[in-house]
Amino acid sequence: MDWIAGLLIPFVKALVLVVLLLTGFAYLSYVERKLVARFHVRYGPNRAGPFGLLQPIADGLKMLFKEEIIPRHADKLFYLMAPAIVVVPALLVWAVIPISNFSFRIFGYEITFYLTDLNIGLLYALAVAELGTYGIILGGWSSNNKYALLGALRTSSQMLSYSLPMGTALLSILAVVGSLSLVDIVNAQRGLWFIFLQPLGFLIYFITGLAETNRSPFDLPETENELVAGFVTEYGGIKFALFYMGEYISMMTTSALATTLFLGGWWGPFVDELPILGIFYFVLKMSAVVFLIIWVRASLPRVRFDQLMGFCWKFLLPLGLFNVMVTATVVALWG
Amino acid sequence: MNGSDTTADVLKARFPLAVEGVSTFRSDLVITLKREFLRDVARMLRDDPRLRYNLLLDLTAVDRLKLGITPRFATVYQLYSIPRNQAVRLIVPLPWDGETEMPVCPSVTDIWPTADWLEREVYDLIGIHFEGHPWLRRILMPENWVGHPLRKDYPLGGEPVNFSGDRDNPRFAHLGQQIMEGLSFPSELPPGVDPENHMVINLGPQHPATHGVLRVVAELAGEQIVSAHCDVGYLHSGFEKTGESKRYEKFIPYTDRMDYLSGMNNNLAYVLTVEKLLGVEVPLRAQYVRVILAELQRLGSHLFWLATHAHDVSGTIHSLLMYCLRDREMILDIFEMFCGGRVTVTGMCVGGLRQDIPPAFPEAVKVFLREFRKRFKEYDAMLTRNPIWVARSQGIGYLAPEEAIALGITGPMLRAAGIPLDLRKVQPYSSYDHFEFEVPTATESDCYARYLVRMREMEQSARIIEQAINRLPGGPFRTADRKVVLPPRPELDTSMEAVIHHFKLVTEGYKPPPGDVYGMAENPKGILGFYLVSDGSAIPYRLHIRGPSFVNLQALDTMARGHLLSDLITLIGSVDIVLGEVDR
Repeated sequence: MDWIAGLLIPFVKALVLVVLLLTGFAYLSYVERKLVARFHVRYGPNRAGPFGLLQPIADGLKMLFKEEIIPRHADKLFYLMAPAIVVVPALLVWAVIPISNFSFRIFGYEITFYLTDLNIGLLYALAVAELGTYGIILGGWSSNNKYALLGALRTSSQMLSYSLPMGTALLSILAVVGSLSLVDIVNAQRGLWFIFLQPLGFLIYFITGLAETNRSPFDLPETENELVAGFVTEYGGIKFALFYMGEYISMMTTSALATTLFLGGWWGPFVDELPILGIFYFVLKMSAVVFLIIWVRASLPRVRFDQLMGFCWKFLLPLGLFNVMVTATVVALWG
Repeated sequence: MNGSDTTADVLKARFPLAVEGVSTFRSDLVITLKREFLRDVARMLRDDPRLRYNLLLDLTAVDRLKLGITPRFATVYQLYSIPRNQAVRLIVPLPWDGETEMPVCPSVTDIWPTADWLEREVYDLIGIHFEGHPWLRRILMPENWVGHPLRKDYPLGGEPVNFSGDRDNPRFAHLGQQIMEGLSFPSELPPGVDPENHMVINLGPQHPATHGVLRVVAELAGEQIVSAHCDVGYLHSGFEKTGESKRYEKFIPYTDRMDYLSGMNNNLAYVLTVEKLLGVEVPLRAQYVRVILAELQRLGSHLFWLATHAHDVSGTIHSLLMYCLRDREMILDIFEMFCGGRVTVTGMCVGGLRQDIPPAFPEAVKVFLREFRKRFKEYDAMLTRNPIWVARSQGIGYLAPEEAIALGITGPMLRAAGIPLDLRKVQPYSSYDHFEFEVPTATESDCYARYLVRMREMEQSARIIEQAINRLPGGPFRTADRKVVLPPRPELDTSMEAVIHHFKLVTEGYKPPPGDVYGMAENPKGILGFYLVSDGSAIPYRLHIRGPSFVNLQALDTMARGHLLSDLITLIGSVDIVLGEVDR
């Protein structure tokens, strides 16, 4: 009965994960709107259902039933593919994120709270997340619109540039743990979270995470006030929603990775006695990072494109390399 | 020696043949010039160390067909000398035999670059050809418009208005299809734009950062701006033409709608001009209340500017937008309490105020000031030292002081270049001289300096309001001149004379003496000027408006060159335009 363990269980787990993520996306948009509204002394959505809780569903239905408009001058194939290319990699990353070490048995099969424990998990996460850039570039290019093209060009250079400092932040973690498996990394944080061991690394990761997910203050690709809507200018209806889905899921991914890499994953008080608490801790920490990201959005102005690049290459990258060097030296001498 | 005499004397001594006449009406010095001397005289007026009329405030023209003066057309130049605080108006009659399409006038664009758009406006609306203008074409009216609307022989009305709901009309049998003929024509590229090697991008007319329907033709090399040409006129609604067919007092509501963020200031500038023409004195109480209202409106306008500017520059930082609008809401509530209007206020009338302030007014203003001061510190803290904000605005859009003057820039933009020209200080009107306040200036002349100047201006406005509300005098809120304002209702029961005045005012309106005046006031965005020509009837013969946004916007190209596309948005925000006033 190997096919159950090898095929059925991962399939069901993947299905549950995707459903959870899509619901998560919908309610993350609700949470963000509500939170930002409070920062703005507004109420936010409060009409659909109690406290506006049905707003995401209303939004989703509206997006679904919108007229499908494809610009005549667009490159149809890529224009239609682009939103999918953005969403799929964002979902794929979650295959390796360990939510909890809690596991239970059904009919003798052990069910864990992660899809798979890849021994190159971190590398996989980085590589797949980067794929989303293709969707954005293709979307901007195939729209055949000057604003969209400029937006897409900005995105590509921004994402490529910011991957480097992000890599340096992760490199220092690797030096400490000595494994690319995310489960190993979390287990290594049982005693001390890496945010205390690598405060600089966390800072670099958080900043680059904002840039990688196109969040304020690095939301250059869709600078609404100069490029109208950047690469999504020519998109409408559900295709538009897919781009946003990609962005929000990336935001969740970034938060989940930050939790896994720096905030001790599922570890917290009493997890040893009651492992199921780990899920709660994971969600709590992830929400804290999400809140931080939204808070930044409500209070910081946006940087200019050249300043963004300068900040990355002239400041973050040297800082990250310095961090790696110090970590490596310390590990080599006393590790 | 009197300043106005000097100008005429110096001019006569230098160009004895040029001057056709010198007159003074309501303390405005008017010099009539011969056309062929215009450019020489203009250059001398600008450069002569005794005169130094360095600021061309306004340039317009009058079609004098119905005044019975020949030649029919004359151009009008309102000059102002910043160092000497003196103004002079040049009137240049243009001989025209009527055989060519339009009269010809030499262009002064090379002497005062600000004349560029102003001459285009005159060409567009009145039909005068300016010889030597670099790119003379229509600016406010559509390209394919026939005729020049501000000419006095231009037909008024007579255009059938088609309503699509008119189902009996056979013309609309095909409802659902395009009913009006929508002509489209390729837009001509401005001179010097190179579409082969550079990317030409249209920002607008529908674009989130242009606050209305402004089109900027940006020529980009990569993301760097090579040139940025503004295309305005999408919101042109013919205020001047409307004003020339209405009685003086009936135009006040229209002024609300020009710069719709500073209705009170527009009211003030207009009624000041009409009062100057009529020679009416306004009671002190009305003057103080006018100051309070105008400064509240300035705060409102600046708050709106801060909100939208921060939003434009920074994208998702909507927080400040919401905070500022919350405070502006309090100002609008005060206006509503005073006159019932919030944005389109029409709060003032010629001779005073439309009504006295309600008893709760002073307290409401004081509560607002208290709240505002508290919150203003937070806004200041949010941006002034914010490194991203400083990086986005510092060093962007430098404008040298001489350049700024040559371009006719006024208001906070000019003060940010280090020139403390504030009409409230140098030519106090409406008893601004009774209050203590400073004119904030900066020397960097970039977007950050403009930001700082406007922020400090808000503090000063709050200071003025506080002084005015604490020292508010009693007495009448309108002039007692029964020829200008209606008598109070009880008086009609007892006085026959009051009934006659009432009847005459309502049926005919007041009739100012023939003549022309130029009135101006310091608006939040710069100097708002009105040029009125009276023919002795109750309707202005010529009404010209100098919108500060319109003139200031011209500097965009100069400021934007060499910066990035993102900076263009910062620059548009730092000019602080309202398209209602740009297009009028």
